[in-house]
Amino acid sequence: MQVLEKQQIMTGSQKLIEEKKTIIEARDVNVFYGHFQALKGINLTIKENSVTAFIGPSGCGKSTFLRCFNRMNDYIDEFCLDGEILIDNNKIYWNKIVVEELRKEVGMVFQKPNPFPKTIFENVAYGLKIHGIKDKTYIEEQVVKSLKDVALWDEVKDDLKKSALALSGGQQQRLCIARTLAVEPKIILMDEPTSALDPISTAKIEELLFDLKQKYTIVIVTHNMQQAARISDKTAFFYMGDLIEYDDTKTIFTNPKQEKTQNYITGRFG
Amino acid sequence: MTHLDSELKQIKQQVIEMMTLVRNQLAKGKNAVLTFDKDLVHEINANEKRVNAMELSIDRAIENTLALYTPVAVDLRFVMASFKISADLERIGDNAVGIAKYINHVNEQLTAADLDKIKFVEMYENALLMLENVFEAFEKEDTKLAREVFVKDKVLNKINLNAASITIQFIQQTPDKINNYLYLLSIIRKLERVGDLAKNIAEELIFYIEAKVLKHHKKK
Amino acid sequence: MTNALKNKLIDNAFKVFGIICTLFGLVILGILIFNIAEVGLTRIDWNFITSLPSRKAEKAGIYTALMGTVWILFLTAIIAFPIGVGAGIYLEEYGKKSKWANFLEINISNLAGVPSIIYGLLGLEIFVRAFNMGGSILAGSFTLALLILPIIIVSTREALKAVPSSIKDASVALGASKWQTIWNQTLPASIGGVLTGVILAISRAIGETAPLIVVGALAYVPFAPSSPMDEFTVMPIQIFNWVSRPQHEFAVNAAAAIIILLLITFMMNGVAVYYRNKWQKKIKW
Repeated sequence: MQVLEKQQIMTGSQKLIEEKKTIIEARDVNVFYGHFQALKGINLTIKENSVTAFIGPSGCGKSTFLRCFNRMNDYIDEFCLDGEILIDNNKIYWNKIVVEELRKEVGMVFQKPNPFPKTIFENVAYGLKIHGIKDKTYIEEQVVKSLKDVALWDEVKDDLKKSALALSGGQQQRLCIARTLAVEPKIILMDEPTSALDPISTAKIEELLFDLKQKYTIVIVTHNMQQAARISDKTAFFYMGDLIEYDDTKTIFTNPKQEKTQNYITGRFG
Repeated sequence: MTHLDSELKQIKQQVIEMMTLVRNQLAKGKNAVLTFDKDLVHEINANEKRVNAMELSIDRAIENTLALYTPVAVDLRFVMASFKISADLERIGDNAVGIAKYINHVNEQLTAADLDKIKFVEMYENALLMLENVFEAFEKEDTKLAREVFVKDKVLNKINLNAASITIQFIQQTPDKINNYLYLLSIIRKLERVGDLAKNIAEELIFYIEAKVLKHHKKK
Repeated sequence: MTNALKNKLIDNAFKVFGIICTLFGLVILGILIFNIAEVGLTRIDWNFITSLPSRKAEKAGIYTALMGTVWILFLTAIIAFPIGVGAGIYLEEYGKKSKWANFLEINISNLAGVPSIIYGLLGLEIFVRAFNMGGSILAGSFTLALLILPIIIVSTREALKAVPSSIKDASVALGASKWQTIWNQTLPASIGGVLTGVILAISRAIGETAPLIVVGALAYVPFAPSSPMDEFTVMPIQIFNWVSRPQHEFAVNAAAAIIILLLITFMMNGVAVYYRNKWQKKIKW
């Protein structure tokens, strides 16, 4: 009897995702690289404290879309965005936005672990330093907290002065996540964060996401459909620059509405 | 705890919940037959909807788990076993409803002597005990406990075998209560089926825990 | 003969050819060094290094020329390093791809190929005459700085390019500005390569004679320079001067000076190699 009630509460909490605050909103986003249109009229909203996965074949535009949220595409020649992206109700492609401030709010973790060739401590403290924080005790606190948040503290607490490049691939990637957490962003973008890692490290990072979503909103691009299934609340399927389907992950993986989605997730593509 | 672990734990909780519900349904069926209480029949009918809803809910949870977490090895066997167990439970629930329904069709209560002769109470108690056994085995993942069910099922089979000749005696003695006796016989038949389903559940359990297939083999 | 055997034969033939080519260069260098060492080694002593030039070969030393070379190197490095590295950073990190950038790039490569005498004429016109520096160390340093700028720019760009973009991405994604990224990440990671390029460029400047002659370096300077505005001579000019004398003793002097000059060059190259290896070891991507 009790379990049944708990079950009802559980489904209740899942409904709450829909009631959560919208933190990212894309309105009719078109992206061009020169004459090539990489994204075609994407509309999508992402709720706070959720994990959203972008899946789709290579070149479908999912990474491009992800990189719009922290304006990492700005450095690409001939990149041109039409439409609006709102984060916390601020238009981030408005020309008075300070991009550095935006990126403080929207952190990013990359495909290959890319720690700086510095010590572990310096890696995590770097974000704080560039944002002008000089309070040493605060920096130290943040470093320890971030390393604990990614479950790396116990492994490196005696080696904080050692080079980050001496860590294993999985540890490096967790360090990169810690580095992002240290500046306390609201959103963390992840671009295939586990594609260069072994299964055990991958599992560790996936578990980490489960905890991180209590505090952060996570958007993850992944080539691994099973990964999207395991970790995300919502899944968006992209194909050739179109957003084909965007729905609860459970729905996408049990009963997709679009034939293309079904073909892709069942591996019968083409 | 991984995502998969928490999903599996939830499925297990739901199955245990369904087990308790189904066992109560069956126990109420016995009381209904013994006391001829039509209110109990209503209650059983109402609860049957909950049993069905639980089966659907477990099915959905299992579908999601398979689709999202691709369990393997022991986890996969657990999910497969749970899937079948929930179907078995639903059929036990159906049988409980079936047993209770007869009260609406029978015009007078069966006498205690008749019930005693056909060993109704003994059979019913045994069936309930089997369920309790197998449920406890599921909860504790105890295959030894599950195996006890196979022995108890033989008692049920024996009573069921004798039931036909006893029913013929009853009918010959008091032909005007033929309707009642036929219903009694089918209750016995349903109980026998409940025993078989309990046995099936035990087999699924052993498959899940020990990875041994006992189906269609002679049990020891 | 099967194809495989034929290929193997060609393979071996080329290997032998390659070895001969390598040995050719080494042997020539060996003969040169041996020749010079045989003549000049005995002449080198502390007096030779610390003596002023003299008409008498046995009394003459390289002090003024050595000091001139040191001054020139020092000033050239100070002038060329910030300008060259700055230009390299701009072109690599800030400059956007445009026709203008392409034009600049091609011209910098061209500048690296311009004969050094032309730089000398340029220095004569601009630094010596227009800026009124006269035939001073400063004018010579500016001229040499101009000469090695393209080399420094190109090598700086190469070093910056070798820093993986993932590091820059990581820094930028944390909200670092462009300059913060360059100062905190790109430069520290590439400093080995940048320094190597600078040192190699300067060691090339050591050997340059022609532009300095044009600018006004003298063959005979009685005293070692003490300020950037002094007249000066450098080692290659001193060597040239000695070689052109008829007396055999001066030829010995020249050989000894060549050994010293070679030592300086080898030393600088050695430092460059050391730095490169050190940084490469420190940073494994």
